[in-house]
Amino acid sequence: MAPTLSPSMRLALVLAAVVVAAPSARAADDVAYVKYRQKVMQGIGADMGAISEILKNGLPFTAAIALHADKIGDSASLIPTAFEKKVTEGATDAKPEIWMEPDEWKGAIHDLEKAADALEEAADDDDPEAISAAFKTLGKSCGGCHDHFRKPKEESYKNQ
Amino acid sequence: MSRAVLAGWAALALAGAAGLADAVRAEPTPPSIARGEAVLREAGGCTCHTDYPGEGDAAPELAGGRGLATPFGTYYSTNITPHRETGIGAWSDADFLRAMTEGRAPDGSHYFPVFPYPAFATMTRRDLLDLKAYLFSLPPVKRENRAPDAWLPFRMRIAVAGWKLLNFRPHAFEPDPTESEAWNRGAYLVNGPAHCGECHTPRTLTGGLDRSLWLAGSTDGPEGELAPNITPHRRTGIGDWSAVDLSWYLETGIKPDGDDTQGLMAEVIEHGFSHVPKADLAAIAEYLRSIPPIDHEVKAPDAGS
Repeated sequence: MAPTLSPSMRLALVLAAVVVAAPSARAADDVAYVKYRQKVMQGIGADMGAISEILKNGLPFTAAIALHADKIGDSASLIPTAFEKKVTEGATDAKPEIWMEPDEWKGAIHDLEKAADALEEAADDDDPEAISAAFKTLGKSCGGCHDHFRKPKEESYKNQ
Repeated sequence: MSRAVLAGWAALALAGAAGLADAVRAEPTPPSIARGEAVLREAGGCTCHTDYPGEGDAAPELAGGRGLATPFGTYYSTNITPHRETGIGAWSDADFLRAMTEGRAPDGSHYFPVFPYPAFATMTRRDLLDLKAYLFSLPPVKRENRAPDAWLPFRMRIAVAGWKLLNFRPHAFEPDPTESEAWNRGAYLVNGPAHCGECHTPRTLTGGLDRSLWLAGSTDGPEGELAPNITPHRRTGIGDWSAVDLSWYLETGIKPDGDDTQGLMAEVIEHGFSHVPKADLAAIAEYLRSIPPIDHEVKAPDAGS
């Protein structure tokens, strides 16, 4: 026999559950948000590393460079979502400036997308010099954001 | 002290003349501005002399005034543009050589060792005079030098005489005939113009470089930066970087894991190593791969606290 509860009892139980569960749920959420955005950024790092392997070792994968650059552009478009929620505590190197200076932040992401597009184009054209120049610009666009919005290695959670 | 240094230098000049016969020709070569620019790039662009952190890209290049925080206090880099009153425009060749290899100003006073003359002392006379020719080809900037904000004993130039006795052994670069030409070129660049050890080697209590931990990383780099262990130790150094990884890093600032570079090293790459010929970067990489790996973990200074 199913127990029946009055609507007001049900509401009280739900509220109690929310109150009890909320703090731990929020903490878990923050960790998950940080992990998600770190995965997005690591994805970009992996593509940068892969392009580096091709270029520095002279692997015959010019067409792959275009695909990696395309992937970086796609990943860049995920960054605004990944950093939507402000989390600056815990195992993260994100600086509060991300949420304090949204226009500069968006501009830096836009620079990354533009630089990734330019590398994709250079790779499509199979032009080694343009590829090399576009890769360096792309690398600088990483720094253009990290310089201001990521904690330096001295303050990184990885070095504590 | 000065006599000892001079005597040391006389001996060095004799030894150097024989040892560096390939670099210093019997016929005096007129200083070359183009070669001098290449030397400046090998030195990481001399970016300590430009106040990028304080004034951004608008900072007058090489006009000094950049605060370099050290455990002894904050020292301000000097104006090395050829301005006659506030820069080095009135310096003779001898003045320049004495500054770079003895750490002494034209008036005889000592430079604080935040200026890495122990590394520059190993450079060839030709490289140094080419560098001077390049610096003198740049526009002069009027900017007065600034006294250090340091505790009393550490802002007295005379105290540097004692520091030199303890920590300064000027010697010219000596090629190792058992190693390749590229290795020797790398050794010269790393320990001379590129002055890698000045940041990547920890310092002793007296502010000298700890030779037992050469290039094994420092938590007290300039501006409080953490300078990684760049010996080929697998766990604590860059032992898992190939020579190609290393030269690519110096050219682009992109690490093997795809991450980029911040801080002083990013400046050094942008204004310095990214302009250095690939063969020289490969030589640096070959040399750095060959030095003894040192187990020395570099973490943030307040780690664990």
